[in-house]
Amino acid sequence: MNAADASVPLPLLDRRRFLADGTLGLGTAAMAGLLPGLGRGQDPGLHHPARAKRVVYLFQSGGPSQLETFDPKPLLNERNGEQLPDSVRQGQRLTGMSGNQTSLPLAGAQFQFARHGQNGIWISELLPNLAKQADKLCIVRSMHTEAINHDPAITFFLTGSQIAGRPSMGAWLSYGLGSANQDLPAFVVLISKDKGGQPLYARLWGPGFLPTRHQGVQFRAGGEPVLYLDNLPGIDRDTRARMLAASRTLGAAARESEGDPEIDSRLAQAEIAFRMQTSVPEATDLADEPDEVFELYGPDSRRPGSYAANCLLARRLIERDVRFVQLFHRGWDHHGNLPGGMRTQCAETDQPSAALLVDLERRGLLADTLVVWGGEFGRTNYSQGPLTATDYGRDHHPRCFSMWMAGAGVNGGLVHGETDPFGYNVIQDPVHVHDLQATILHLLGIDHERLVWKHQGRRYRLTDVHGKVVRPLLA
Amino acid sequence: MKVMLWLVCAGLLAVPFQDPAGALGASRAAPDFQRQIRPLLADRCFPCHGPDAGARKAGLRLDSFRAATADLGGYAALVPGDPAASELVLRITAEDPGDRMPPRKSGLSLATEEIALLERWVAAGAEYPEHWAFVPPAAAAPPPVADPDWARDPLDRFVLARLEASGLEPAAEADRPTWLRRATFALTGLPPSPAEIAAFLADPGADAHERVVARLLDSPHFGERMAQPWLDLARYADTYGYQSDVARRVWPYRDWVIQAYNENLPYDGFVRRQIAGDLLPGASRGDRLATAFQRLHRQTNEGGSVEEEMRVEYVADRVNTFSTAFLGLTVECARCHDHKFDPVSQLEYYRMASYFDDIDESGLYSHFTSATPTPALDLPAPEQEAALARARAAVAALEPGAADWVGSLRLEPLAPDAHWSFDARAENGYADSVDPARVAAAPAGVRAVEGRTGQAVAPDGDSGLRFPGVGEWRRSDAFALAFDLYLERPLERAVVLHRSRAWTDAASQGWQILIEDGRLSAALIHFWPGDAIAVQTAEALPLEQWLRVEVVYDGSSRAAGLRLRIDGEATATAIVRDHLTRAITGGDPGAPTLGERFRDRGLAGGRVDELTFYSAALPADPALRAARRARDDLLDAVPQIMTMAATPVPRATHVLQRGNYLQPGAEVRPGVPTALSGPESAVPADRLELAEWLLAPGNPLCARVEVDRLWRAVFGRGLVDTPEDFGRQGTPPDDPELLDTLAVEFRASGWDRKALLRRLVLSASFRQSSRADAARRRADPDNELWSRGPSFRLPAEMLRDAALAASGLLVPRIGGPSVMPYQPAGLWQEKSGQVYRADTGEGLYRRSLYTFWKRTSPPPAMRILDAAKRDVCVARRQSTNTPLQALVLWNDPQFGEAARVLAAAVLARQGDDDSRLDAVWLRLAGRSPIPAESRVLRELLAAQRQVFAAAPEQAAALLAVGAAPPTSDLDPAEHAAWTVVCSTLLATDAFVMLR
Repeated sequence: MNAADASVPLPLLDRRRFLADGTLGLGTAAMAGLLPGLGRGQDPGLHHPARAKRVVYLFQSGGPSQLETFDPKPLLNERNGEQLPDSVRQGQRLTGMSGNQTSLPLAGAQFQFARHGQNGIWISELLPNLAKQADKLCIVRSMHTEAINHDPAITFFLTGSQIAGRPSMGAWLSYGLGSANQDLPAFVVLISKDKGGQPLYARLWGPGFLPTRHQGVQFRAGGEPVLYLDNLPGIDRDTRARMLAASRTLGAAARESEGDPEIDSRLAQAEIAFRMQTSVPEATDLADEPDEVFELYGPDSRRPGSYAANCLLARRLIERDVRFVQLFHRGWDHHGNLPGGMRTQCAETDQPSAALLVDLERRGLLADTLVVWGGEFGRTNYSQGPLTATDYGRDHHPRCFSMWMAGAGVNGGLVHGETDPFGYNVIQDPVHVHDLQATILHLLGIDHERLVWKHQGRRYRLTDVHGKVVRPLLA
Repeated sequence: MKVMLWLVCAGLLAVPFQDPAGALGASRAAPDFQRQIRPLLADRCFPCHGPDAGARKAGLRLDSFRAATADLGGYAALVPGDPAASELVLRITAEDPGDRMPPRKSGLSLATEEIALLERWVAAGAEYPEHWAFVPPAAAAPPPVADPDWARDPLDRFVLARLEASGLEPAAEADRPTWLRRATFALTGLPPSPAEIAAFLADPGADAHERVVARLLDSPHFGERMAQPWLDLARYADTYGYQSDVARRVWPYRDWVIQAYNENLPYDGFVRRQIAGDLLPGASRGDRLATAFQRLHRQTNEGGSVEEEMRVEYVADRVNTFSTAFLGLTVECARCHDHKFDPVSQLEYYRMASYFDDIDESGLYSHFTSATPTPALDLPAPEQEAALARARAAVAALEPGAADWVGSLRLEPLAPDAHWSFDARAENGYADSVDPARVAAAPAGVRAVEGRTGQAVAPDGDSGLRFPGVGEWRRSDAFALAFDLYLERPLERAVVLHRSRAWTDAASQGWQILIEDGRLSAALIHFWPGDAIAVQTAEALPLEQWLRVEVVYDGSSRAAGLRLRIDGEATATAIVRDHLTRAITGGDPGAPTLGERFRDRGLAGGRVDELTFYSAALPADPALRAARRARDDLLDAVPQIMTMAATPVPRATHVLQRGNYLQPGAEVRPGVPTALSGPESAVPADRLELAEWLLAPGNPLCARVEVDRLWRAVFGRGLVDTPEDFGRQGTPPDDPELLDTLAVEFRASGWDRKALLRRLVLSASFRQSSRADAARRRADPDNELWSRGPSFRLPAEMLRDAALAASGLLVPRIGGPSVMPYQPAGLWQEKSGQVYRADTGEGLYRRSLYTFWKRTSPPPAMRILDAAKRDVCVARRQSTNTPLQALVLWNDPQFGEAARVLAAAVLARQGDDDSRLDAVWLRLAGRSPIPAESRVLRELLAAQRQVFAAAPEQAAALLAVGAAPPTSDLDPAEHAAWTVVCSTLLATDAFVMLR
């Protein structure tokens, strides 16, 4: 028996088994096939009508600076080099990396900001392409989190807890919504290739205590896109088909003698695996994209595994109704040499992120696809290490940072929340990580307090016992 | 109907419909409190009316009879025998949503049948027997059965009685090959060999089964098989986890576990050593090694982490692991608040935590060195041990005769190694007056100021002076440092002088002179805090006056040999640490540095003058130094492992409000939850007494939890469905008498695990066939009645090991360091930049429990096949069924290579296709194929012969899979065709499932 079912009361078992038969979480798709109106039209949602059916989460790992992107602070330029006032810091903890500095000099951003879009949203010159999409962006400047180091912070963002072992956001969605696609996983992970920076961990897309079929499946650039997808050398598609046919016959014989329905289920999984061997390469092969699309995403998009190529791949997966596509782009951890580092990171990500919005919109997908951009925390308003005329660094800062969302159900052209003139604390409309998670789930038709899994005697949620939907963000 | 299905399903998912009582359609008999009522109350009511005082609403408790029947002012929640007068019944049946319980916003509700059940329970007297798992088990006599001859062991009578009560008959006995395969996997994790199958089938003896079991229990592979689930509990991994996820050397613990099983170490000894081996009288190295169990939790070295925050996490992990592994309880909730379901208060949680808070550890492992986090145990090889004994004896022989100069030595007359007066600042810095070629470059942040004599230096806290070519001392070197120090203001912390790479968040090695809370301290450090010597002045240094500071060290690695003097006088000092056993020079410490250290707080507000380094002129005995150096060289090469070692002075443990390290509350004394111990029993004082408490006859959980685990290892499913939770939210056992009887007998047997396993695999229950038609499956869908034999998919390790064993590739050596078999390229690289280098040769073919386990990027095929992640203690793996599993069995080169090598092996035999097919089946499925099975594979074989004959390049490609040498004397097309056949079988039910 499926061990995960052991904690589930009997009446639920049949349904869970039904879902379990499609172990990529294909059960809901199976139901969708039974039900008119569950395709591209109105989605009744799990708990309320869903505004978003799919999510692309552009995770910027390392903690991008809000002060060089979406939260301009002219005061820092005016008082550049002055000490961070105690009245601003209010005794809050610093990391061990800058906490022992004798000097905490305020550091003004070295980049210009200008107003963009109908609502005149301030966006940095580092992001010229996103700036053109200002009317689509729903910027939250008042994000705050609890963790001050990468591992706990990114774990907190993506699993709702700093403690390891909880399901990731995509796994929760796979569990709650299933896949809308017959031949692809519900939750796909794309990592920018050849990028240094803070390490990533499999737990960030892991299933925690949910059944392992809900874990994110990483699609990789170069070689086989999914681990073990390619047949062994010398085994071609026809041979695989013959092997599968033999398995089918052997399975039927075993079913006859053993009477175990699990045999059918295993065969069904093999059939899906066989289909994935063509559906995954078909989805990941960008060769059929016209030049115009590569130009939209920028020159990097022709380099497999780049952030740009992954953005383009994300669009293809969204087109195929993959529920949750999570990109990871590392390298935002600018303790030193921040101006140079930000130039590089923004150059890598600005055009592709903007292109994804344009591409989704013109294909009619942005209306029911949510795009989320952000990292695990922000950066300090003072310089870590020496502040010079051209250079400075910024330490981790959990007290405030910026993110944006776009697409399905969110208010484009909005700036939500406000930080103090020093860019140190949130002074209006704080949005906690759990609030953001609750809001994302809400857009997907899920009440974050009701998407639960009972484990070790307790009902667990992505948002633990916290989180409020941030209504002003909703269109 | 279809729409209904969708809506119902959606609703179910939203608020899982709970029927833990299995009460729907129940009879009118008085409900069973344990199975029906308590789970209902716990699930729907205890969140607000349970043990958690903090979350309790309206002051109402429903988790005890006394509280639930208490007078609430003219009424009571429960009036036994009178549902109509019971507020509980009134509220769960109230029409008004404002009165109705559970409240709507809780997301919980009660079904009509459940309400009826509660009403009947109240009417029947509302009895509250204690939760089954909190009452010590009592043995029951085997129940009477209609067919006593079926039973081969008393346990079978329990099984049969329930079958008979359900109107079911046991399944027929499985055939011999099936039982042999089942028993061999159950006890060794490996398939039976063709020879073993043949021998067993040919054995006419009445005790043939018994002799097989004796052989299997004696096999060294028994320990390997049993270690696997234990390593899940122990969260065994070869890396620290968290961010950088550096490799660590903990495999000797794995070897200890394997050996403990193989030697049939009784369970009480197994438990006692892992909890408190260090505290056993005359503890052996093995006893201490066993406590590594408690140090295998994740650890971090991430820059900027708060050491105490992480240390608190480690202690919490030890508490959680102890509770899950030995008590079958989840206590994690009580870290932040009283447990909502089980009788564990937050206070009790921290009382338990204090047992595991008794070691001299750091919340961070070393960033710049590979030092083993303390406490660490030396694990010398026998030849190292002998050499060390000689080297130590040599030191011991010289030490008594050596002059004791460290306390009385006057430094001024001695010739210094180096001396910086700081009087003349050249453009490139300050020159050493002994060797002017040695120049300490002076950054702008270090100002020249008026000194005690001439000029001095005043660092700004962020920049320092580096002194090249001096002070690169080992711990066997005697040395001294002297300087004038002027402090302008009180300093909480300041790095004065050191040779080390970094400090607070990096656990670097070296020597250092600091100011801490105004006091002067000196230390030599291998790993802080457990492998270091450190002394500190009793008083804060006086301010605004020049002081002559002298630090003198005699090379003894003892705190008594490290002295502080102020203005020529020995000053009162306290010994902070006195346990230095390893090198202080690792991690690229660079040159001695004044006034600054990476990520530490430098000296701002102080001046330093006349800095002098001494070593050559000290009156240390060169022979003694040589002897110590020889000893140290040996010792530094001896591997270590993290273990528990109780500190002589207990650490104070506090309740942490909301579990937050920044909010310590009251200090607590050690203690165990009263619900499990009874208020009158003695409180265990330390970990050893905690182990004895766990193993005492009155402990309700310890034996039950292990019996369930052993049953699970054999039957694939436990007697309790929730091995991680024997508490009130867990699933009660289907057959409590059977569990309790086995638990009592297990203890009485001297905790003999092999004896219990022998009973289980020889029982009639285990010998049943797992075949069942639809009617039998309907009658017992999840085999909760054990109405048929076990059947389950082989766990990840057994699948891979079986493929290796069947092909003959398996390297059966027991124990040793972890190995790195095939893994798709780039997985480590893309996450962290580290590179996975697969082994060549034997490392590719060892049993899977030796596969190197990297926490942030575990072996992917293992994870796809449901191996536990090893981040935290796991008592039960999931068993899922996914397309990715099919892909692994098809395309992982480990399986492909096994298919190729197996094909070669059967082709090397004389015989026709059928006899060779027979041989393949025997090795992979432990039996011969039936005709239908042979036929389909013969057809596949025929088709593939044609394919590969027509496409020799495809045959060649397939035959190149894996590192095993090619078999050149075989026809490639034939070999490739048979490889396809073997590969097909590796993905079929006959191989994948244990039946």
